[in-house]
Amino acid sequence: MSIIVGNGLAHRFGNELALEGVDLVVDAGEHIAVLGDNGAGKTTLLRILATALRPTAGRLQIAGLDAFRERRRLRHYLGYVAHAPGLYPALSAAENLQFFCDLQDVSRSRVEQVLDEVGLTSVAYRRSDQLSRGMQQRLAIARAILHEPRLLILDEPDASLGSDAADLLMRVMKDKTVVLATHDHALANRLCQRTLVLRRGRSVGTATRLRVVR
Amino acid sequence: MNRYEGAAAVAVALMLLAAGAIFLYAPTDALQGPVQRIFYLHVSSAVAAYGCFAVVLVGGIIYLRNESPAADRFARAGALVGVVFTSVTLVMGMLWAKPIWGVYWTWDARLTSTLVLWIIYAGYLLVRRLAEPGRQAARIAAIVGIFGFVDVPVVHFSVTWWRTQHPGPIVVNDALPAEMLATFLFTLGCTLVLAATLIAIRYRIETLIDARQAIAEPTKLVAAPQPGAAP
Amino acid sequence: MNPLRVVLAVARKDLRSEWRTRELVPALAQFIILALLIGNFGFQIDSRNASTIAPGILWLALVFAGLVAFGRTFAAEREQASLEAMLMTPASPVAIFAGKALAAGALLVMCEAVLLPALSILFGTPFSGDVVAAVLLATVGMAALGVLFAAIVARVRARELLLPLLTLPLWIPFVIAGGVAVQSAMGLPGNYQQAIGLLLDFDILFIVLTSLAARFVLDE
Repeated sequence: MSIIVGNGLAHRFGNELALEGVDLVVDAGEHIAVLGDNGAGKTTLLRILATALRPTAGRLQIAGLDAFRERRRLRHYLGYVAHAPGLYPALSAAENLQFFCDLQDVSRSRVEQVLDEVGLTSVAYRRSDQLSRGMQQRLAIARAILHEPRLLILDEPDASLGSDAADLLMRVMKDKTVVLATHDHALANRLCQRTLVLRRGRSVGTATRLRVVR
Repeated sequence: MNRYEGAAAVAVALMLLAAGAIFLYAPTDALQGPVQRIFYLHVSSAVAAYGCFAVVLVGGIIYLRNESPAADRFARAGALVGVVFTSVTLVMGMLWAKPIWGVYWTWDARLTSTLVLWIIYAGYLLVRRLAEPGRQAARIAAIVGIFGFVDVPVVHFSVTWWRTQHPGPIVVNDALPAEMLATFLFTLGCTLVLAATLIAIRYRIETLIDARQAIAEPTKLVAAPQPGAAP
Repeated sequence: MNPLRVVLAVARKDLRSEWRTRELVPALAQFIILALLIGNFGFQIDSRNASTIAPGILWLALVFAGLVAFGRTFAAEREQASLEAMLMTPASPVAIFAGKALAAGALLVMCEAVLLPALSILFGTPFSGDVVAAVLLATVGMAALGVLFAAIVARVRARELLLPLLTLPLWIPFVIAGGVAVQSAMGLPGNYQQAIGLLLDFDILFIVLTSLAARFVLDE
């Protein structure tokens, strides 16, 4: 079944139209990349899909449920890595994750597992503001998978990651439905089966990876 | 003349009639003299202001429940008209106080809570202006309006109670003679009509403002291939 | 989902962050001492009028310290975009709000632990359990309101201006009742029992209201 069904998604900030008339269907297990320049509307679209933002127009269904009305139920289902890491600087990596375990009623044993999965076990007790940008990004990803979501919405997760970004992301994305925004076309081709291209808030079309030529 | 202009004309005519009643029909107060005539408009404005803020409260509650844009518009209109009437109340109160008590201001329950009322709803208008227009501003304002409406009687009660903790002069209010009562009720009625008219006109203006900001129908994209369609 | 676990987790996280950075409490403590100094010179306090004026200075200092403390509860979250991450979890917004109010209230109480003894030492006013009780009761309601409105203005322009404008009218009843309570505890006329009763009533009223409002304010 289709995990995500979006019709005519649009969002307006004040008088500015950030996104207009975007349709999107994502099936279970699919990995979709959202491409576009800065300001094209990628982050806005991803925030809408993650139910962090309510679109000013359009309809969205996730896992068969109305995304806005059932967003509290859907939070168990989806994990979101936002554009900004959103970590607590004075807390260690492990403490950051423990806090989110408490918020989501997840056992704290997950912290160790997840740190291992993203390769941060060695810095578990370092303050997060003393982590490199790449490590912070890994920590944000770790937080998003704490509760074992079935759907991942990732906003430029590769932004500060190094050369092993693809490996890490492939591991994390395995067996999940994923919508991934990125600038990196090669990475998009490698990780995803389809791409959606945005330009100035509108969908220019979707394509299988074979047709994305840059 | 459209119906808004007609309503406005009626409201103004009524207020002129009320003015006539205040200055020609009502007797001069024995103790306070001609200055006492301020009372009619002063108290009527206060009641009208509370009425406007009740509109803000109800509009806010309805908006929080079902996000009705009309409810939000009523709230906006009510707040603006309410602040105007509160300002009138405050100024008239001060003009009345000076000849009677010798000071422009005393910290009694009524004046203090009217001032707090003004501050709260001026804050409401400021929040609307500063927040991102649309859903965020409407929700925040609804909360501010609800808290504000609850706060005013709480403040009034607190100040009244506070006064009992400090020995001080007690202001005696004599019963109103019949002509004064009649004049007051008439003025009150005319003022409420004026308030309702102003709110209706402002509601219309807010509707037009909203329309200008509303999302235009998104134009259909030409030949956007549907996801999953054959390449 | 255990809301209490969320409340305690949020409160613990905020207090732990503050402990690690040690920014707010020392700054507020310094501010409070300065406020007392200025009060002394501004009011020409001597041993005769100390009991009359000291309660006023107490509440002034507390109100301004409160505005700073509560204003900061969401400032840090906003900077780090972490509020959104919290709201993306299934945790109830009311529980998150309660946790933040608890932490912010605790920080203000720490400042009161400086303010009350300092007031007593500098102005020679009596320092009794009655005074402490009144201040603590008022802090509860003020924290609930302050944190709610801090959340409201967090996403709005000119928040430093808006927070006092929106919050102070709601704090007035607390200052009135608290003022009478402290004054009567210091020996001046006033019904202490009634004042405490009022503070309790206001606490209950505003805790209920802010809890109901929290989900509209915090959730998108």
